[in-house]
Amino acid sequence: MKSSDESNRRSPVQLCHVTILVLAVIALSSCLRSRSNEIVIGSKNFTESLMLGELMAQQIETHTRLKVERRFYLAGTYICQQAMLSGRIDIYPEYTGTALTAILKEKVGSDKAGVYQRVKSEYDSRFHFTVGPPFGFNNTFVLEIRGDDARRLNLKTLSQAASYTPNWRAGFGYEFMERPDGYTGLAAAYNLRFAAPPRIMDLGLLAPALKDHEIDIAAGNATDGLIPAFGLFVLEDDRHYFPPYEAVAIIRQQSLQQHPEILQPLSDLGGKITDVEMQKMNYALDGQHRDAKDVAREFLHSKGLIP
Amino acid sequence: MNLLRFFAENRGQILELTLEHLWLVGVSTLLAVLVGIPLGILSARRPFWNRPVLGAANIVQTIPSLALFGFLLPVPWLGDRAERLAILALTLYALLPIIRNTYTGIRGVDPAVIEAGRGMGLTDRQLLFQVQLPLSMSVILSGVRVAVVVSVGLATIAAAVGAGGLGEFIFRGLAMVNNQLILAGAIPAALLALCADFGLGVLERRLRPHEK
Amino acid sequence: MQESPDNSAVIQFQDVAYTLPNGRTLLSSINLTVNRGETLVLLGRSGSGKTTSLKLINRLLTPTAGEILVNGSPTATADVIRLRRSIGYVIQEVGLFPHFTVERNTGIVPRIEGWQAERIRHRVRELLQLVGLDPSLASRYPHQLSGGQRQRVGVARALAGDPAILLMDEPFGALDALTRDELQREFLSLQQRLNKTVVFVTHDLREALRLGSRIALMDSGRLITILSPEEFVQSRDQLVSAYVQAFADGFDFVARRGAS
Repeated sequence: MKSSDESNRRSPVQLCHVTILVLAVIALSSCLRSRSNEIVIGSKNFTESLMLGELMAQQIETHTRLKVERRFYLAGTYICQQAMLSGRIDIYPEYTGTALTAILKEKVGSDKAGVYQRVKSEYDSRFHFTVGPPFGFNNTFVLEIRGDDARRLNLKTLSQAASYTPNWRAGFGYEFMERPDGYTGLAAAYNLRFAAPPRIMDLGLLAPALKDHEIDIAAGNATDGLIPAFGLFVLEDDRHYFPPYEAVAIIRQQSLQQHPEILQPLSDLGGKITDVEMQKMNYALDGQHRDAKDVAREFLHSKGLIP
Repeated sequence: MNLLRFFAENRGQILELTLEHLWLVGVSTLLAVLVGIPLGILSARRPFWNRPVLGAANIVQTIPSLALFGFLLPVPWLGDRAERLAILALTLYALLPIIRNTYTGIRGVDPAVIEAGRGMGLTDRQLLFQVQLPLSMSVILSGVRVAVVVSVGLATIAAAVGAGGLGEFIFRGLAMVNNQLILAGAIPAALLALCADFGLGVLERRLRPHEK
Repeated sequence: MQESPDNSAVIQFQDVAYTLPNGRTLLSSINLTVNRGETLVLLGRSGSGKTTSLKLINRLLTPTAGEILVNGSPTATADVIRLRRSIGYVIQEVGLFPHFTVERNTGIVPRIEGWQAERIRHRVRELLQLVGLDPSLASRYPHQLSGGQRQRVGVARALAGDPAILLMDEPFGALDALTRDELQREFLSLQQRLNKTVVFVTHDLREALRLGSRIALMDSGRLITILSPEEFVQSRDQLVSAYVQAFADGFDFVARRGAS
């Protein structure tokens, strides 16, 4: 019974020890989270974001001595923003339109340069994030039709297509239907009228449905890999309804101060990726199931960015 | 084995996320203890507060965790940083076991001991700090143990709203359909829960007072 | 009623009544006086109100009517903590703190009164010897002691602050007959040495006859009579003789009363 006597006597002391241990763990875990010679790059959970993340990662790995840790497939804009704010990631790819509406919560115009400048200055002052130069493509919403129909009816713009819509069936994704800058605004801007309400489908099923004549017009992304693969035609947004979604790198200024050498490799990516090139990379991953690392390396090599 | 190699290669990231996880659990448990024990004491000594306090904690418990995270998102200041709302939510969930066990522990003290103490002229405060709390330590700690184990589990869900921690591995692994990544989150989380449960259980046993 | 030769009244009950919030009356019109140095036994069956009366003295309960005076001052206006610390309290279940050693248990009142550590240690040793315990038990815990040893510690604890008054609520009731007998004898010798004013609650007539200088019989919340032990066994009062009858074989105690 002696040991239990001692423990009875020592129990307040032990409790203090435990409390100190717990506090130490908390303190330790909070300060160990700052890394020294490493950069963490995040991405959202879809192919294109992943590709951009990989491109940035390889740029930095090739041109600096830093190790890059990839924290891809984070589930969405809010998650990425939180990770940036708390310093869990240093860089991630974002779209100007998304940054303006989802993060800054402002109404978006269609002026590409204006949107970019607004995001750049607000991100600087509010979050101390640096916005890199646009990568070169605009992944905005587009309305797509079959290539055959475009040629047959000689359609180039959305205004022209608007007159045919009463005879067409439309297919849209959930988000497009829900977003205020989605279907409702579009229908108003172009006076679109469909015979039946648009079918709501999974994004990945839209292109095949279009190809198979189940629907006649769909809303997709400008850099969708299936556009060239299925011979789809992108209608021009002549009334400039859709806001710009230029892809850019978002970088924590604190990370830039610690590792100024990452700025150049990231800026070098500016203006290097066209809509079509992004479509091809997306298709390589989604359609051809190639490895992102290989696709990224090939592209960077082809642009002379890496040896 | 492939899994072991994966763990070895990514040990840096695993460690980092584990520490993030510990941070979330540690801070919220500490807050729950600081708030919950006094509330438990209050409800034990003034029976009037028993129903409202335990009732409120019970109501919080019934809200599905993901829903609670969602409720807190639009709240100013809290929603700005996922960590803040995660820590608040985890603290709220940890309250019930701690309050309830504090209440039970204090009420469970032998009434003869209380009567003798009062009769001797111990003030309420002296009775609380020198007799009731020390004798309840084991039961209270058992409540803390439950709170910690539950928190470790809930903290994995916190990753869904961007608070980080081991849950992030799980969610990313699910999106990528990558089992190794999922396990890289699930196994350390399970180990954390087990260790906390075991460690606190040992302490709980050693603090148990001796009855006649 | 018996008049005690020593007239300094330490405790006085003046028309005291105690009624529960739900209306049930536990005590009604209690008038009694406890004199310095005497052992007043409150005798009665369960529910007679004897424990209630005891608890009114150290204000664990508050009278709903009437007044109680301790050393001339009403308990109602006294500082309750000071009051309780100046009165020793011993209960049947003992109520030792299970997480304190015998030493810490015994010395609790001196400790909260702020005595020096050395003085407390000295006092504890003194008390343990007084109640017949080996001082080496000081480092033991209550669960390691026998029932009799625990109650001795209980008494030592109650005496630690050197109170003039001792309240004892069936202190030996949970012990076996032999131990009870032992402790009763020791109580008597202790009383001879210390001369405390004691109010002792019991339902056992033999114990009352043995230990009390006066016996106050209570029934259904009323004080029936206060008599000396000799008067008690010879009384013609209906309730008293009923009590005596119930304890038929305890008479010779009167003659052989004392620490034999």
